[in-house]
Order: sequence, then C-alpha cells, then structure tokens
Amino acid sequence: MWLYLVPTLAINVVIILIPALLTIALAFFQWDGISAPVFIGLGNFVALWSDGPFWTALENNLIWTAIFLTVPIAMGLLAASLLLIVPRRGSTLFQVVYFLPVIIATAITARVWQGMIYSPVTGVFGYLQKLGLPIVNPLSQTSTALFGVATVDLWHWWGFLCVIFFAALRQVPQEQIEAARIEGASFWQMMRYVLLPGIKPTIMLMMIMTVIWSFLVFDFVYILTQGGPAFSSEVLSTLAYRKAFYDLNVGQAAATALVISLFGLVATFFYIRIQSRESV
Amino acid sequence: MGYRAKIALAGAALAALGVSAGVPAAVAQEKKPITWWYETAAPENQEALQKILVEPFNAAHPDESLSIDFRGAELDKQLRIAMLSGSGPDVVYTAGPSYVASMAQAGQLLPLDDYAAKLGWNERILPVFLELGKYNGKLYALPKTYETLGLFYNKTLFEKNGWQPPKTIAELETLADAMKAKGLVPFAAGNADWRPTNEHYVSIVLNSIAGPDNVYKALNGEIPWTAEPFVKAIDTLNDWWQKGYFGPNYFSLTGEQAFAQVATGQAGMAPTGTWNFQNVPRYFPQNNAEPGFVGFPSAEGVPYPIYALGIGSTFSIANSSQNPDGAAAVIDTVFSDKFYGEMNTVWQGEWNTPLKDLSGVKMGEGVIPLYGETMKNLAASVSDGQYGYTTWTFLPPATDTYLVSGMEEVWLGKITTAQFLEKLDATFKEEKAAGKVPAIPKR
Repeated sequence: MWLYLVPTLAINVVIILIPALLTIALAFFQWDGISAPVFIGLGNFVALWSDGPFWTALENNLIWTAIFLTVPIAMGLLAASLLLIVPRRGSTLFQVVYFLPVIIATAITARVWQGMIYSPVTGVFGYLQKLGLPIVNPLSQTSTALFGVATVDLWHWWGFLCVIFFAALRQVPQEQIEAARIEGASFWQMMRYVLLPGIKPTIMLMMIMTVIWSFLVFDFVYILTQGGPAFSSEVLSTLAYRKAFYDLNVGQAAATALVISLFGLVATFFYIRIQSRESV
Repeated sequence: MGYRAKIALAGAALAALGVSAGVPAAVAQEKKPITWWYETAAPENQEALQKILVEPFNAAHPDESLSIDFRGAELDKQLRIAMLSGSGPDVVYTAGPSYVASMAQAGQLLPLDDYAAKLGWNERILPVFLELGKYNGKLYALPKTYETLGLFYNKTLFEKNGWQPPKTIAELETLADAMKAKGLVPFAAGNADWRPTNEHYVSIVLNSIAGPDNVYKALNGEIPWTAEPFVKAIDTLNDWWQKGYFGPNYFSLTGEQAFAQVATGQAGMAPTGTWNFQNVPRYFPQNNAEPGFVGFPSAEGVPYPIYALGIGSTFSIANSSQNPDGAAAVIDTVFSDKFYGEMNTVWQGEWNTPLKDLSGVKMGEGVIPLYGETMKNLAASVSDGQYGYTTWTFLPPATDTYLVSGMEEVWLGKITTAQFLEKLDATFKEEKAAGKVPAIPKR
C-alpha cells in the first residue's frame, strides 16, 4: 500500500523538497550564483534587517494582503449573491463575463492596462487628460503606484472568487433556504443567517489562500512598475528577484524567499487547524 | 517467414542502423561543432546573423560547424547555470564585464591572451576595451559592441528657433529654460519599459559634471562616492528634475515613445545613448525633421565632449570548450572590417565592435551618414583618451541596481543627495572588497 505513495512522493522530493532545502541552506551563504558559496551564518538576515527597501516591501505585502482580503472577497460575494437572484441563463452569461479576465495571461492583462488604460500617450487616461480632467497615471506616483498595480490584479482576480462563491452558494441545502423563505426572511437576512454561514468554509479557505498568494505576488508588479518609482510598489518577491538576478546576491534573495515562506507557513498552519477542527 | 530469414532480416536491419548511425558520426568527426548562445533577436536580425556570419564562416572553415542558438531574454540565467555545470556553449556571450569577473574568478573562462597575440586582436581592437576584459592581468573577454551617451536633438527645430547645440552646462540650462518657455519638454525621457534608464542620466552627470578623472579615482577606491564633485553632479541632476526638464510623464513613457517626441518636436533634445540611432529612421523622416547628435555638454573644468563608454555584452571562450580554436576563429571573424560594415548596414547600434580604425570599413547604402560619422568620431575620441565611464559597465552589480532606484528616491524627495551617495558608497565598498568591480582601464 505504501507503494501508492511513491510516484507523488518522488515528484515532491525532486521538485519541491530538494530545491526548498537548497534555498534554506543558501540563505546562510554568500553566493553570486557563479563562484563557490561562502558560509556567513545569519549575515543575510542581518543585512535584510537593516535594508530599507526590505521593510518597504514587507509593508507593501501587508497592504496588498489587506486589500485582497477585503475588496475582491466583498465584490465576489456581492456578485455571487446577485447571480443567485437572476435567472439561470443570465447567471451563466455573467459567470463567463466575470471569469474571462482570469484566463487571460497576466502579461497581456498588465500590458493592456499599462498601454491602453494608464498611459498618458496611448491610454484612456491620456485621452481624459486631453479633455481637461486632472487625472494622472497612478503607476507614476509613489503614493498610488501600489494601488495602481493592485487595481489591475483585482480586475483580473475577483471574477474567480465570484464563480467559486457562486458554486458554493448553490450547494447550500435547499431546505434551509426554503425554510427561511417560509419564515419570511428578507434577502439580507437570508445572506446573514443562511447563505454566509453555509459557505463559511469556502470563504475561510479563500481568505487563507489569499494570504499565501498575496505574499507570492510578482507578475503584475514586475511588469507594471518593477517595484518603482523609488521602491513604492516593491514587494518581497520582486525584491528577491532583483537581489538574485541583478545584484547577483543569491544568498540574500534566498533569505527574502524564506521570509515569504514564513508568512505562507503561518497561513497554512491556520488552514490545517481549521480543517482538522471541522473534520472532528 | 522462416527462422533464418528472420535472422537475415535482423542482420540487414542492424547493418542499416550501423550505416545510418555511422555516416553522421563520420561527418561529425570531420566537422567540429562550435556553439554560441545568443540573446533575443528579431527574426530579420536572426536572418542577418545567419547570412552575414554563420553561412560565410562555415563555407570558409570546412572543418568547423558554427551554430547560433537564440535563447531569448533568459539567456543570462541559462548561461550562468550551464557554466556552473560545465555544459555551456563554446562562445560565451555574457551581459557585461561584471559577469566576466565572476566567471573568470570561478575558472569558467579560458584566458584569451594567446589568441589575442596570434590573431592580431591586440593591434585591431581599441586598447581600452582589451583592458576592460582583463581579470587578474589576463584577458578573458572582448566587448561585442560599445555605446556612448550624448545629446540627440531636432536640427530642424533648432534652426527654426535659432538655437545652437549647447557645449557647456550653463548653455544647456539656458536652452532648456527657453524650451520650457515655449511649452516644449527639454529632455525627452521615459523609463516605463526599462527602469535602469535612470542611470543613463546619472552616468551623464558623473562624467560631464564631476568629470571622468574623479569617476576613475572613485572606481579605484581612491576617493569615496560621497566626494564633493559627485554631490555637485547629483544635485544638478536633481535640479533638472525639479525644474521639470524631464517632463511630466517620465514614469509613464517608454524609451521609444520619449525618443519619438524629439522627432515630432514635442521635446527639444534627448540625452541618451547611441542605441537610439535605430529609432532615427523610424521617426525623423516621417516628421520631416533632421536629426542631430553631439557630445553631452561639460561643466567648467571638464573637457568637451566626454564620451562615457558602455558595453552591452562580451565574448569569451568557455574553459570546458572542446573546440576553443574554432570559437576563437568565430570571435576573430566578428572583429573584422568586413563584418562590421555588413552588419552595421542592416542592424545599427548593436554591432559597434571596438575596432581601432574604422577607415577601412565600407557601409552599405541607406545608412544615415550621421551614424557613421558619430561612430568614427567616437572611435577617434576613445583613441585619444577622451572617454568616461558608464555606470552599467563599470559599477559592480548591487551598486548599479541601487543607483537606479536610489536616484528615483532623490528625485521624488524620499532621500537627500548625501544619503543616496552614502549608501552608494557603502554598497560599492562592500562589492569592491569582494572583488566584484570590473577591470578599470587606466587613463
């Protein structure tokens, strides 16, 4: 029976465990990715501690997590509950429309927003500027760059949550809904006392995954701003990437990656705890 | 089919296999492969390399078989991993001298001194670039192309307004103010597609305001980056930003969009690199504008013009190469007058190999005369020792990436010039101690 485990275990060891252990080890070495690594103990972590951009990046990851724990989840829940009301055919159409941005490659989505929406030369923002509206490219301001990137990711992401929540809502036992309706519950009461408690496990799972994914965010930031201007949209993964491939400082990059994993690990811990409590 | 027949058939099949396997083996023995991994190239450029280099090379060297593998934008990472495992290509094409230092340190590259003497590279190539490819006194790399920074301008617009290309910083500032008064953006610039664009301007002020002698001293660790001339240079660059010389859309425009604004007359000049020559035919003729290019103006006490030298990529030979002679022959072909002329006719800005004397080079029809002229002036200036240092070629990697973001922080008021230079100096000292600073040619 243990043989059943071998194929997946082998894949996990080769693709996940070995690189993960190597990354952990590298975090304690100074290495440029070319010559021989030199052991420096906690040197990389000490360097990160006094590195201004590291703290900016960590703060930005926390802001990003806060945004994605609230805005897309609220939007997804609202739209999913509205889909419950519309007739079947209409809801299918809306599901497709909401889900479309999810399947477009992130690089394409990012370029479309950068060139066709935000750009002052070729984008909608430029057109509005010409009409005299005092509107600027959010990616070019330190105060708005992170939110400018988050908006693009939100547009691409919330439809996924909506479809997941809608699928979960349709699994809520019909008898409970019927009973509430007979009791004369309003739409909001139905949501508050029947539907939301019914899909709570799904919401919890999505929230925990959001925390993990938020600390892994890379593509949109890298394509749209590369962490700029002046580190204002830097996140831990773009910082790690720059350290590894531009600074040739693989050790510090590995240390940064460990910090990212730490947050993911905390989220995973809570997820497993909640799951085991539910299965009891 | 009988038993015997089966055996006979199997024997025939084996013989056929032996023959078919034997033929390529024999050919392979005759022709020694030379591999070369190249970065991203547009299809027409890939074709140019095939027609101008690969086909004539293989025809002229019947014993060798050169093949170029286009690896795309990830070449640098693939190459580093392959070199670590000793399975890289014969011709090693790195992203710049700072990579060469690390690879040479790790023993992955073959010293080229013997080839340089035997094949005449010492006589043919500008000495400053030979110095650049050295590590611990041995030659490990030759630069594929070199570039410089200067001032592109719209000649037609200048003539209409009675403006002259500036030669001093004071003249530059007067002119920029005049342009602003007319509603023009003085400096066409944008970093939306390439954030390191910031360092083009830092390189300009370091060389043309602080002066190349000071930069040389700082690179050698004789003076710190916090020294007064550098403070003055960065302060001036910050002043230009605060006065709006870079226009309102620096973080939103791509380099090409910004350059196009010089041709359309929305911007007055573009302080940028010679690689932008490839954009001249794309934008100037259709706007009925004539392009101009001069050296960037110098501050008082700094000679005019100073051409800051930059290197895009380099050639080396892998230590693990089975065919180093073949790889050297390929590099030798690239550094010929014939190849220079043919390649620069169809693909400008990427193949400005550092040949000492360009008088023997014949360019094809259709190349804008300004380009050839500029390159000849540049080679002559470098030969006379009138050159400076670009940050992307001469600074070690972490110092260079900090410079890119740090300058933005100064512009956007997050840190002061002093704070910026302090961190730059600290990062530089750390990397210098670790042996990461590339070779700095003597002045």
